[in-house]
Amino acid sequence: MLKGHQSWVFNNRPMISATGVSGGPFEANGNLANDFDILHEDLWMGMDSYEKAQRVLLEEAVRTTLAKAKMEKEQIEFLFAGDLINQITPTSFAARTMQIPYFGLFGACSTSMEGLALASFVVNYQGARNVLTGATSHNAATEKQFRYPTEYGGQKPPTAQWTVTGAGVGLITQNVPGEQQPVTTSATIGRVIDMGLSDPFNMGGAMAPAAADTIMAHFRDMELDPSHYDLILTGDLGRIGQDTTFELLIKSGLKIDRKQFQDCGLLLYKDDQPVQAGGSGAGCSATVFYGHILNQMKKGMYKRILVVATGALLSPLSFQQKESIPCIAHAVAVEMNEERR
Amino acid sequence: MVYIIRLMIIASMILMSSCSQGHTEEDSQLALMKATNPNPTVTEKNNGQDKVEEIEKKVSNFNEIYDAAIIKGKEATLVVYKVKHMQRFNMKKIEKDLNKTLEEDYPKENFTVSSDYKIFLEAVRLIERKNNGSYSDKQAEKRLNEILKMTSDMK
Amino acid sequence: MASKQKNMTPQQQKYQQLQQKHELKRPVLKNCIKAFWVGGLICAVGQAISYFYIYFFHFTEQNVGNPTVATMVFLSMLLTGFGVYDRLGQFAGAGSAVPVTGFGNAVISAAIEHRTEGFVLGVGGNMFKLAGSVILFGVFSAFVVALIKTLLGMWGVL
Repeated sequence: MLKGHQSWVFNNRPMISATGVSGGPFEANGNLANDFDILHEDLWMGMDSYEKAQRVLLEEAVRTTLAKAKMEKEQIEFLFAGDLINQITPTSFAARTMQIPYFGLFGACSTSMEGLALASFVVNYQGARNVLTGATSHNAATEKQFRYPTEYGGQKPPTAQWTVTGAGVGLITQNVPGEQQPVTTSATIGRVIDMGLSDPFNMGGAMAPAAADTIMAHFRDMELDPSHYDLILTGDLGRIGQDTTFELLIKSGLKIDRKQFQDCGLLLYKDDQPVQAGGSGAGCSATVFYGHILNQMKKGMYKRILVVATGALLSPLSFQQKESIPCIAHAVAVEMNEERR
Repeated sequence: MVYIIRLMIIASMILMSSCSQGHTEEDSQLALMKATNPNPTVTEKNNGQDKVEEIEKKVSNFNEIYDAAIIKGKEATLVVYKVKHMQRFNMKKIEKDLNKTLEEDYPKENFTVSSDYKIFLEAVRLIERKNNGSYSDKQAEKRLNEILKMTSDMK
Repeated sequence: MASKQKNMTPQQQKYQQLQQKHELKRPVLKNCIKAFWVGGLICAVGQAISYFYIYFFHFTEQNVGNPTVATMVFLSMLLTGFGVYDRLGQFAGAGSAVPVTGFGNAVISAAIEHRTEGFVLGVGGNMFKLAGSVILFGVFSAFVVALIKTLLGMWGVL
């Protein structure tokens, strides 16, 4: 149901009944290694190209999700997924393997929440019973396309971010009352915001206004106060972007607590890992949200959270032509299913 | 980082150890690092030993030069020198001045002037071999001509 | 860029000021010192190699540069292949990018990266992706400088 200007309320409370998360070697050394279902020792994942490796990540995440849900892929109606590579081939090729009817999404690093919002919407209105949604990125494949070759010895500034190698997939199903699983309750779709920043090594700074815009729109549309949520989680703003977003929100008069405001890109890695300002990439919010955060929700650490995934909608061509970086953010509110009385 | 530093240390050790193998000549081994000041030499006995010593004095009088090797052959005279480090910016000027002084003082001689380390090294080696008797006059003359040819190839 | 700055809306300018405050600055002085030392170290290795060639082979100071450069590029190729050079680059910045080893790294990293697209279109087509502009502008500026020198020589200035 549309509420306000750009938000949906999911009255039937679609349920995230199973998730699957896979990651690479760098994530295995990170903070949240225990929340990954599959971790690879090798960036190649036994394939002969990084693009194929990225496909493997998504396939494995999907397979894990299905195994956990004890379902066959024939029972899945739709797949909503995407990634960062040209024409989202890794995801489409993975969809070819899985033979599930497929919507390819591109929202850069916001794909995870774009997918979750759409999947929830479809399930909420009985458009499907079981829908898979997810996002994936691969460090080497993404760096290759957007920046320099992996082995190139260029110095990255401290504002740069590290693309996550990983895939996170969630299975969205009709609500089963009483089952202790997270459910999606509302979503806010963001506008594309461009504040004229054009440094691809400072994505956090470029994405911050988009995140702030979507968060404010969510609270305005839903007529809620930030204290409604235990946690407001941003996707991959990194250190700079998170500080900037926080300041923007405070300045606009939102009563938000610094402690309830966290970022996936900062949670994922240890301080001594050379990730500069934090993690990024489509897989960043997907792996942290479907892995770590949902596990914590199930443990009862959080009751209600708002996840805001941000994406920088640039291409290697656009920044070489000195275009600024337009950014977007999508928010999905997730809470634990009510216990049966 | 530690790995990189270790790698560099190993590489430099290999280079160093390879330097200290084989050759038994003393001065020429360190010819690039310290002042050797070899005795000026002539390839033919009793032919202008006084003269080369005179030349050597003249060359040493240049303030910028701290080390010189001079070999006089049948036809040509090789003058190789090293300049003080901070004077390396004036290399061209020093070479010009030296050439001028020598040509003026010894118009009959045919000088080849060089500051190349390689030529210096070879000159020192030649002088050493000549002095310890492993080169005859004839061999020395032949070697000198090879060195002179090397010098002219460079230009 | 200056003209673009003017085209921005006041809102954009205001945001950029706010953002500037949070942006982490490059530690310029620290980077310079690191670059100085690592660059110097690489050059010292190069000097050792050129002495090696002078001592044991028939190279004079004038032409020892060629085998030395070849050796340094070979070493940087090994380091790139073993995945060491990019870490060195992150540490040293210009110190490892400016010497010829940085050029070698730019060529080889691109070649490794595009190996998956085959030899002709991948390696051949992309090898000079980064280094190509260095070659082009290097050759061009060398041409211009040589032209100026020749003209000055003809007019008797030099």
